[in-house]
Parts: sequence; C-alpha cells; structure tokens
Amino acid sequence: MITVHLEPGNETLTFPKINTAQQLLNKLSLGQTDALIIRGDELLTPDRRIHYGDEITVRTVISRG
Amino acid sequence: MKCKRCKALAAVALPSHHTGFCPECFLKYFADQVERGAHKHKLFDHSDKILVALSGGKDSLALMQVLTDLEYDVTGLHIDLGIGESSEAARGFVTAFCEKRGLPFHVLSTAHYGLAIPDVKAAVRRPICSVCGKIKRYYFNKFAHENGFTALATGHNLDDETARLFANTLRWDARYLGSQGPMLPGEGKFVRKVKPLYRLTEFETAAYCFLRKVEHGKAACPYSGGATFTGHKRLMGGLERVSPGMKIQFYEGFLRDGRPAFQAACKEGTDALVECAKCGYPSMSETCGVCRTRGMVAEKTAGR
Repeated sequence: MITVHLEPGNETLTFPKINTAQQLLNKLSLGQTDALIIRGDELLTPDRRIHYGDEITVRTVISRG
Repeated sequence: MKCKRCKALAAVALPSHHTGFCPECFLKYFADQVERGAHKHKLFDHSDKILVALSGGKDSLALMQVLTDLEYDVTGLHIDLGIGESSEAARGFVTAFCEKRGLPFHVLSTAHYGLAIPDVKAAVRRPICSVCGKIKRYYFNKFAHENGFTALATGHNLDDETARLFANTLRWDARYLGSQGPMLPGEGKFVRKVKPLYRLTEFETAAYCFLRKVEHGKAACPYSGGATFTGHKRLMGGLERVSPGMKIQFYEGFLRDGRPAFQAACKEGTDALVECAKCGYPSMSETCGVCRTRGMVAEKTAGR
C-alpha cells in the first residue's frame, strides 16, 4: 500500500499502486504547482517514482486568508 | 528531472520556467528572484530599516528568512487578531520562528485597542476580511511610522498579486489599478510599502519553507470561507496550467504597459486626505475607518 497524508486537513488515503508523483497529483485532481509532494525529507518532482510502502504527504499550497 | 544549474536530482519543478532545481540551487534561485524584484522596482536597499509583517503563514515567514539571509536590516511585527485558537497558533509559529533564529520581532494585539476581530465581526455589516485587512494595514503602518522604519514589507506573492489584479480588472477599478504594484511610495505618515515576493508563486514559497526548514501555519483563517480571492486564484491557476508563465507575464505586462495609464487617470481625480480627528492618521473623511470601527465595536459591546 501507499499511504498519502493530505495537508491541510489531516486526511489520510491509501492506494494499492501509484507509479509516479504525477499520477498521484492526477488522482487528487491537482496541478503540478498546486501542492508539494513530500517523501520523508525530500520534495518529489512529478516524474519521480513512488514505491510500494511509501508514505507521502501532499501539502496543498493555496492560502485562504 | 535534473537541476538546470548543477545537473543533480531536481527537487522542485517549475513549469513556468520550463525548468527544475535541486534544493541548493532552488534556494539560490528564490533569493535571486527577491533581489531582482527589489532592484528592478527599487523596493529597498541595505540602508533601509525594514519592518516585515508576519502572519505566521508560509509567505511572511519565507520573506523574513530570505531577507535575513540576504543581510537586510529586518524586524518582524505580528498582529494578534484575537481569533481564539487560530490566532494563538499563528502567534506561536511567529514566536518560535523568530526566537529559534534570534530575530527581532514585536507582537501587537488588536484586542488591546478594542478591536478583537470576533467583536469587530459582530459589530460591522461589511465583509469581515475587508475590515480586518484595513485594521492590519493601519497598525502595520502606524507601528512602522512611529518606530522609524523606512519600509514595510509584506509576504504578498505572485498568486496574491495576479488574483488582486484580476479582481481590480473585472471591476475596472481605476484607482486600485493605478496604485497596484510591488512598491507604494511613502508619503507623510504612510511608510513605503513593498512586496518583495511578487515574482514568486505560492508553490515556490511553500517549497522554500520546506527546504529552508521554516515551520509555518497551514490552517486557513476560520473567517475566510468564501473569500473571493481564493476563487480568483483557482481561476488563474487553471490558466497557468494551460499556459505556464502566464501569471508573471500578466503581472509584469500590467506594470509595464497598463499601470502608467491608470496612474495618469487617477492623478486627475485624487481625493484629498485629511487627518483623522481621533488618531491623526490620514483619512478620506473626518474620522478614519479604523476609528469608526472601534466606535462601532464599543457601542455594540456596551449594548450587550
């Protein structure tokens, strides 16, 4: 499984398979610059591969006041 | 994806620049964009004493960090709006950030001046975001003026600026279009206002905070639901996805070709400012908007 934490909101999702960060953005209906894709202490560009067992944080960046 | 500069593994992809950067080169790019904007529009130089408006969010803390790294003379000011846990959290992020880095900062509480935002919300009929913004601008400027700062810097980024430009254009608001830009000159009791992050997007400030290890607040203001600028940002974001680089072109094009015409038109019909009878700060009427709001809050509180 791939575990995805969504910020802000603290929601957690799981996916059986996602190949790349771009695929994850697509699944969440997000554009490339709508969110940071974080794995551990690194940022992932959309072409980076995501592996089974990864824990990913998706931090949307739009500020709302 | 490889870093454009050093060919290491990229951490940040920037479709608007058709490029990507590794962490180290991205931080350099970010600082370069701030310096480029500051130089191009003469925002400030190293002789300026700069007050940085700190909300506790990513943009203002990124601004404080990058100006510190660039060795500008900066001091932070956080305005505590008195909105329960939301304001406590914001204040906590600012305090932790500044104390950890040994940076000078001040905290001003609107409740101390009879303007806790929940009380203001209960007393006024206008949208609270508009009134809150006015109160914050008033106290940031007042503090800067009374403490000898030569520039007041805010964390407005390219997304904020293009959303505002879009809103002003939809209304063809000539006065706002004439005064919009990364620098508003100081005059009288108005301190020069600058927006050093105007060339950088929210994505870039968020990436900067992550890579520079700046802990910041992520929750939205509890009163900001339905704010029109959020909708405008989404619209502009959709356009940017189709045409990467559109936002900076829209904004820089406006500064170069559009704003001068609106500035010229506004000079003809400028309303004279007078001193507020209560606080002495510039006002369009006998009593300024902030003093009028304070009066409304006092009246409402007395009537409870």
